Amino acid sequence: MNSLVSTQTAATSTSLLTSPYKQPVGAYDEAFTSNGAARPHWQAILECITSLGMQGMQDRHSRAQRILRDDGATFNLKNDPLSPSVWALDILPNAITCAEWQHIELALQQRSTLFDLIFKDLYGEQRLLKEGIVPSEIIFAHPGFLRQCHNMNLPGIKHLTFHAVDMVRDQSGQFIAIGDRTQTPSGAGYALENRTVVSRILPSLFRDSHTMRLARFFQNVRDTLTNLASHITDSPRIVVLTPGAYSNTYFEHAYLSNHLGYPLVQGGDLTVRNGKVWMKSLTGLTQVDVIMRRLEDNYCDQAELTSDAMLGVPGLLEVARQGNVVIANPIGSGILETPALLSFLPQISQCLMNEAPLLPSVESRWCGDPEQLHYVLEHLADFIIKPAHRSTQSKSLYGHTLDKEGLANAKATILANPTEYVAQTYIPGSMMPIWDKEQLSNRPCLLRAFTVATDEGYCVMPGGLTRVADFPGEDIVTNLSGSRSKDTWILSDTPELDREVSVATIQAVQAQQSNLPSRVIENLFWFGRYAERAEMGLRLMRTTFKQLNGIDHFPDESREVLLSALSEITGCLPGFVDNPELTQQPNDELASLVIDGQRTGSIKANLQLMLSCGEQVKEMLSADTRIILNELRDHIHSLERAYINGLPAVPEESLDGLVTTLLALSGLSHESMLRGMDWMFQEIGRRTERALLTAKLLKTTLSKPLPSLQQQQILESVLLSVEALISFRRRYRTQARVSFGLDLLMIDRSNPRSLIYQVEQLRKYVNELPHTQQAGLGLSPENKLIIKSLNDIQLADLEDLAQTEESSQTRQNLELLMTEITDQLEQLTTIISDKYFDHTAGPQQLIKSKWKNDV
Amino acid sequence: MKYRVRHLTEYKYGSAVTLCYNMAHLLPRDTLNQICVNRRLHVTPTPIYQTESEDYFGNPTYYFSIQEPHKKLIIDMECVYDITPLERSQQLFLGSVTCGELRQLLAAAETPELRMTKEYLMDSPLIHRSSDLADYAAQTFDDTVPVLQAALDFTQKIFNEFTFDPTATSVSTPVEQVLLEKRGVCQDFAHLAIACIRSVGLPARYVSGYLETLPPPGQEKLVGADASHAWFAIYIPDMGWVEFDPTNNLMPSDQHIVTAWGRDYSDVTPLQGVIFDGGESQTIKVSVDVQRC
Repeated sequence: MNSLVSTQTAATSTSLLTSPYKQPVGAYDEAFTSNGAARPHWQAILECITSLGMQGMQDRHSRAQRILRDDGATFNLKNDPLSPSVWALDILPNAITCAEWQHIELALQQRSTLFDLIFKDLYGEQRLLKEGIVPSEIIFAHPGFLRQCHNMNLPGIKHLTFHAVDMVRDQSGQFIAIGDRTQTPSGAGYALENRTVVSRILPSLFRDSHTMRLARFFQNVRDTLTNLASHITDSPRIVVLTPGAYSNTYFEHAYLSNHLGYPLVQGGDLTVRNGKVWMKSLTGLTQVDVIMRRLEDNYCDQAELTSDAMLGVPGLLEVARQGNVVIANPIGSGILETPALLSFLPQISQCLMNEAPLLPSVESRWCGDPEQLHYVLEHLADFIIKPAHRSTQSKSLYGHTLDKEGLANAKATILANPTEYVAQTYIPGSMMPIWDKEQLSNRPCLLRAFTVATDEGYCVMPGGLTRVADFPGEDIVTNLSGSRSKDTWILSDTPELDREVSVATIQAVQAQQSNLPSRVIENLFWFGRYAERAEMGLRLMRTTFKQLNGIDHFPDESREVLLSALSEITGCLPGFVDNPELTQQPNDELASLVIDGQRTGSIKANLQLMLSCGEQVKEMLSADTRIILNELRDHIHSLERAYINGLPAVPEESLDGLVTTLLALSGLSHESMLRGMDWMFQEIGRRTERALLTAKLLKTTLSKPLPSLQQQQILESVLLSVEALISFRRRYRTQARVSFGLDLLMIDRSNPRSLIYQVEQLRKYVNELPHTQQAGLGLSPENKLIIKSLNDIQLADLEDLAQTEESSQTRQNLELLMTEITDQLEQLTTIISDKYFDHTAGPQQLIKSKWKNDV
Repeated sequence: MKYRVRHLTEYKYGSAVTLCYNMAHLLPRDTLNQICVNRRLHVTPTPIYQTESEDYFGNPTYYFSIQEPHKKLIIDMECVYDITPLERSQQLFLGSVTCGELRQLLAAAETPELRMTKEYLMDSPLIHRSSDLADYAAQTFDDTVPVLQAALDFTQKIFNEFTFDPTATSVSTPVEQVLLEKRGVCQDFAHLAIACIRSVGLPARYVSGYLETLPPPGQEKLVGADASHAWFAIYIPDMGWVEFDPTNNLMPSDQHIVTAWGRDYSDVTPLQGVIFDGGESQTIKVSVDVQRC
């Protein structure tokens, strides 16, 4: 085995340090002392690398990637459900000793306490401004200072529930805070996912290191959220509010909501009525007491804040103001993120706490102060220039990377608006070992620590989110994008005892989960429909390819019927219908029906829509489902490759994998999903879609009578596409009569692809849906439709349906019946959608009057 | 002097609005020389939820929401005010600090009052300082001129150089355009004055309220002919916030009734909020009557 690392002597460890692991110059090395010896708390990790060797490490690296992908751990989905960026994790943990952590913990507790006091002061008495501790311009000019939130009279001792602090080590090894996240502090969920993955792939190292557990922190999060509404109720309803599936950190929202056991909602899932907040759910409106929010301050309420925002809950702020809902963190907390505050933190701390900060902050200079401005402009190359108001667009300038022109531009920018800039000293950050490109290397790193308010003060997560630059020589970044993360281990001397979670909490959690937001249900319904749509399309497509390229002659009439059916089933009309030219040269159209994702109804488009619906309800999908969905993504990618130059030589080959994966998906939903409302709606979606498409298929393929050879070919194609050909042959030998086919496809209860099977299942499911109390007498409209369809199918005379009507030369009765059934099923979907899904249009702004008068 | 003010706001929607959330700055506020002795507020349809509170600037607010479908929303507000005339002459003779002195005082910001006044030096949602605005006001607010004198001169300057024209601007016309076109209504003139004063480094705020109008001699006063009005105030140490009406070239005394103040119109919008459904063809009608009583 390759001796990558030896911790025994300085001499052998130089083999590690030769390349590419270089001991940093001018920065603290996390793992090694200046003479090249491993620091004691890193020895176990380094030994582990040695014993695993290059191959072992590489295997674990790949396994971690696979687990992350299967967990759906993504970052920044960017509107592309096919290729989400998988969360980047380096398998080597960041190790910190318990002794050192105790100091950090105290310092962080104090910092969070201070930030809570700042929040209360700015939105209350404003002593800091009146006494001149903080120059008032900083706050008054900041768009994040929301005057609507002044004097809110929030419940609880602590108002700032969550706080995250970004820290780096300076050259001496001292931790320095470089920024705070208070609005929607993200990262705790990613830290938990990192822990889950790393403890799985390095189990013995994890166990033997006595790494402190994260569970207690998250239990505190639960307790705190529960206690927040103690002035309202003892069993509060808690939700996690996300901006939606296209938010960068949506994985974390879904992950945390699952881990904590609260429904994940979007703005549209909530509504304000009678001065309270409600969740729109399947069973009606359910009151919400606590909102853990991941939506930015300004987007929370269109009535009082940004009025054209798409994401908020109109009226939310007023409910919070009256104490009828508690939001964590409170709206308005974004102001605390301004780096301008860091310049005054020691004075603020003295004023509000009468203490000096235990955790130093990076040296910051607010350019609104003429003296500071002068100094900053003189030493511009030594500073990072940050906007005083952090926004998604805001960018920092790194003075040491700028050339002469860049510096001149930066100077002009600052001078134009000095109050809006803050200059911070650049701290390169300590160097941390990482496993990169099959070898040990090192990068500058950054640690984000998390705290949560409790009754006794702030509780610090024993760990955090460590991030390293993605490329050597790159500066550390403070947002989550473009960097790699690490699990953070606080090494204890003794193993931690597992704690038991109280049973009461679990029960409350289960009760909540059973009531789902309408949006979730709707997405699952469509997930089922799109899956079925894709599968039916794929099957017919596959059959078509086989027939067109088969050994047997496939006459023009057969070709015409089959291709037209394909256009009808995909809904890509007119397509082959009444287009003899295209029917003769079908290849481009066929390829487009498979692979053109922009074309509504194409196979790829249906799969994409299905994946998007899945992404919207990520928190509802099981681990196995996510694995299958990833397989599906892989298949779509190989389909794209196969079809890159149009229709390939064996076009059906690359479709097989997709069909199998879709089958696995429906099998999984049957075998391992609880029969809750989520399952029910997914299944209703599937069954309706399959019934609809089967009726359509029968209508488009069989209503036109054909000469006997052609008729047999078409009937067999249909049977083949719905996987009934073998049963058919067994039952009827070679008598390919249309009425026999209809027997199997329409009214055979034992065929899970027959029309009657779908409708009977639908009847069962619909009866189990929750019904509103004020329903009228007799059967509900959806039941009537289903019974009507059932009767239509059962009472049909198959021989009669197979008869050709003289004048029109079609099987008119079959055509009429299938049209009838399709109409009824379409009506059914409309009724279900009206009844159970939410159809509120977004809010509009009230027009404003202008003061117009003159004397 | 006692006034009875009736402020009637009526929204009409093409189809029914099913739900609305509104924040109103319509309730009367008391000031140094003004108290509300009686008031009546009536909203139709009856709100299912309503609260009265006070905003950041100390203005009374009225928040309400309606959950029944409605095609018409009426907010009918009636108040009786008692206003004492402000004694100005003496103050004028006392003389105030000069613009230069005030700028220095603000830079040093040695008292809580001065520190808090800085709020009105900064940009606000509808008002952004600029060099063009500063140029327009620079001479008037020269370092050597007493602030009070400068504000009076500036009020007159706007009155002389701008034309009242209700068709020239909308609620979203930026101040820069008003400066270029030299036309607008009271709200524009107030915003313009504030923007100019902040651009030369002095604190100014927006005041909204009502103004008693008198009919031409020999004519009856028309009902609903009055309207809401807007003007500005400037901060002068030892005098506090002194008000000026550039639309009418005067200093408000006992004919101006104050309802609210803030950094600009957006802080004191009479009625803001959102509606669900039916809003595609909304119209608004406002009528105000100010009567002596």
